[in-house]
Amino acid sequence: MEKLAIKGSTPSSGIDQWKFGTKQTHRHEESNPSAYQTLRPTEQLKETINDEMASTSVGSFELVESKLSDVPLSVWGRARLPPLESEEWATFLDSEGRVVDSKALRKRIFYGGLGHHLRQEVWKFLLGYHQYDSTYVEREERRAHKLKEYRILKAQWQTISDEQAKRFAKFRERKSCVEKDVVRTDRVLPFYAGDDNPNVSILHDILVTYSFYNFDLGYCQGMNDFLSPILFVMQDESEAFWCFVALMEHLAPNFNQDQNGMHSQLLAVSKLVELLDSSLHKYLKQADCLNYFFCFRWILIQFKREFEYENVMRLWEVLWTYFITEHFHLYLCVAILKKYKKKIMEEKMDFDCLLKFINGLSGHINLEAALRDAESLCVLAGNTGALCIPAGTPPSLTANMM
Amino acid sequence: MATRKRTLLKVIILGDSGVGKTSLMNQFVNKKFSNQYKATIGADFLTKEVQVEDRLVTMQIWDTAGQERFQSLGVAFYRGADCCVLVYDVNLLKSFESLSNWRDEFLVQASPSDPENFPFMVLGNKVDIDGGNSRVVSEKRAKTWCASKGDIPYFETSAKDDLNVDVAFQCIAKNALKNETDEEIYLPDTIDFSSGSTHTSSSCSC
Repeated sequence: MEKLAIKGSTPSSGIDQWKFGTKQTHRHEESNPSAYQTLRPTEQLKETINDEMASTSVGSFELVESKLSDVPLSVWGRARLPPLESEEWATFLDSEGRVVDSKALRKRIFYGGLGHHLRQEVWKFLLGYHQYDSTYVEREERRAHKLKEYRILKAQWQTISDEQAKRFAKFRERKSCVEKDVVRTDRVLPFYAGDDNPNVSILHDILVTYSFYNFDLGYCQGMNDFLSPILFVMQDESEAFWCFVALMEHLAPNFNQDQNGMHSQLLAVSKLVELLDSSLHKYLKQADCLNYFFCFRWILIQFKREFEYENVMRLWEVLWTYFITEHFHLYLCVAILKKYKKKIMEEKMDFDCLLKFINGLSGHINLEAALRDAESLCVLAGNTGALCIPAGTPPSLTANMM
Repeated sequence: MATRKRTLLKVIILGDSGVGKTSLMNQFVNKKFSNQYKATIGADFLTKEVQVEDRLVTMQIWDTAGQERFQSLGVAFYRGADCCVLVYDVNLLKSFESLSNWRDEFLVQASPSDPENFPFMVLGNKVDIDGGNSRVVSEKRAKTWCASKGDIPYFETSAKDDLNVDVAFQCIAKNALKNETDEEIYLPDTIDFSSGSTHTSSSCSC
């Protein structure tokens, strides 16, 4: 096994830098020393990280202390795999359709995603709509049962008469908010394009039904962004609704009235940057950017507006495996910020410039590279990284999903 | 050569979801209209150079999310604003009724030094719809409200048909600039005769 690379650099102004090299061989054919990226854990975390990093799922590492420059050490991300396809998918199932080893499945999807035709079936597990140990028969029964339930929920608002609606301001407001948003949701996609597109009506019906299913939360802008790919994948109103419900079980806090779910995630990103890139943190601090509001859109709708549709689906299935961490999206934020750190700092971006710059990255981020970087960062940060993320930070998962 | 402290005018556009904030901004800056803008998440801005009398200024126009629950983000986006544009849809009463709330919220979050005299502007948008037959808020009613809030200038616009958009933004720039020079006159070495502060003629009705 090759020795993974350590990138050298020049003496620095006294801040110790760390580099990582493999201490011994490990079984990761995909490991790729060319996937460099820079990491600068803060000094006080040296010992912790040293301990944490001795052995990880990606391999074994050794911390090597040295005086390095601002261009610090390099780590590698595992090469991504091709998407999971039908033949391989079948090997994860027993004769009755149970997923035998859900962790192995989630790992496989984390590293490669899914072929598009498998998404309809597999997303239901990832989202927690179907249990991994359910059988084909049980899933079919559930589908029928949930369809009935959906029809009842939908009828609750569809049977509201005009007279009743006149006296029901909240209903009118919600409905009109949904109406405004569905007609501007991914309309360039053929699936939602054109006048009187029935799929736009389905988006509408699901979102209004959801606002009755979860009346306390209601409809919130951004939910339409989440639902659009789910309906596109499921091609079925009731199944899309329940998958959306399952997703909202974890991500509803993003839309809380008090915005606490968002604030805790933005704070966690700030802590992670402080841990993983102290000079970027220092820069953002002096530029008065530590509220990280420039990452708001990234986090609220899990990068939906930042990638092409296909890549959004790829990213989401990777995130939803919750394989290495349930907060992988936060490491992705850090990875992208680090990628553009030099530009951000050299151009001395203030809050306004940074927001504009980040918004402008939409459509220009290399997803696969960012995923690798994020994985490296997550592995490197280890438990110290996990401690940056306060308990209760969305997504809030149930035990059976991890 | 005499310079002023700032030639950047920060303008915040507020109003209910779907009243046309993004469309107005894009019509003014890019001269384009699309009915397929996505709902704004978080905030974004565009900049445009404008001539105000004989001064060239850069307008930085901020477009924000319209849903009420995102208002708490305003703190970060509103600070340093020179003018706040309140937009409603003349065909939707609710969006008009929300103007007070948007104005109050802005004053709380941006906390300008002189809230009484902070320049606002109200735009009644979408006057093109159905040839005006579906409008529910009359011009008179809107103007009455504007008068009650300290004579806020008012324009009726159509981002779609590019009606009054330039005029409104020109007025916005002029008012924002007036406010700026009132509170901080900055004439370092020489007196700047080109600043146009004595000019009174304007195409703007405010």
